[in-house]
Amino acid sequence: MEQVVLIIAGVLALGSALGVVLMPNAVYSAMMLLLNLISLATLFLMLHAQFMFAAQLIIYAGAILVLFLFVVTLLNPAGESLLQDKHRLQQAGAISLGLFLACLLVGGLLVAFTSGPQPALAAEVVRAGSTYGTVEEFGKSLFTQFLLPFELTSLVLLVALIGAVVLGKRR
Amino acid sequence: MTNVTFTMLISALIFTVGACGVLLRRNPLVQFMSIELMLNAVNLALISFGGKEGTAEGQVFVLVVLTVAAAEAVIGLGIIVAMFRKRKRIDVDDIRSMEG
Repeated sequence: MEQVVLIIAGVLALGSALGVVLMPNAVYSAMMLLLNLISLATLFLMLHAQFMFAAQLIIYAGAILVLFLFVVTLLNPAGESLLQDKHRLQQAGAISLGLFLACLLVGGLLVAFTSGPQPALAAEVVRAGSTYGTVEEFGKSLFTQFLLPFELTSLVLLVALIGAVVLGKRR
Repeated sequence: MTNVTFTMLISALIFTVGACGVLLRRNPLVQFMSIELMLNAVNLALISFGGKEGTAEGQVFVLVVLTVAAAEAVIGLGIIVAMFRKRKRIDVDDIRSMEG
């Protein structure tokens, strides 16, 4: 059962990622991005990261994607078809570079997973009754061991806030 | 194939698709969405591998990436809207300088 959900979510995530790139209309791309975010959240849940599942849905699907949709509908960019694009050489270069990157990453992963001793991985060492990934456990380490990075993220958000106000100001 | 092998492969492929999207599309909005795809692929990899000892390192990284992605989306979309106000059309080929 778990395997089936994992495979469905994985294939859906990959298919919707292709949809983001291939859809001619930016609104459809945004919808595909939403599907991608939800299937990734499902994968997070299957990997026992419950807090990240909720954070992914609230921050990405709830906030960032809505911002994207606002801007897409505000600017209403003309649709573009990849088939009618005149930059053929650039397209060929991009696709071959993409294939090269895919071969490199997948090959590297296969080598890492098939040779040598298998490392113990988080999702596989989690046993029944373990608290790994729960909000309680994550919050505890966030406010003790990882307090500094957590505080620094607030600085990043402050800079973004000020930047947005400056950029949005009409001259 | 274990769960983690599968999610790592999915993560690698989504990253590749996102990189191709940035190179292929000429609409800065869709390019931004492709960048979000790449960030998400990295998040998936971090969650797959993170916290080998049952600790929260990987998830703290993901939280930082999430924050940076939100900040980047706000600033990037702000720049695109400012650009649109000035030129009335958006295409990455039009951008020659950042000067207002």
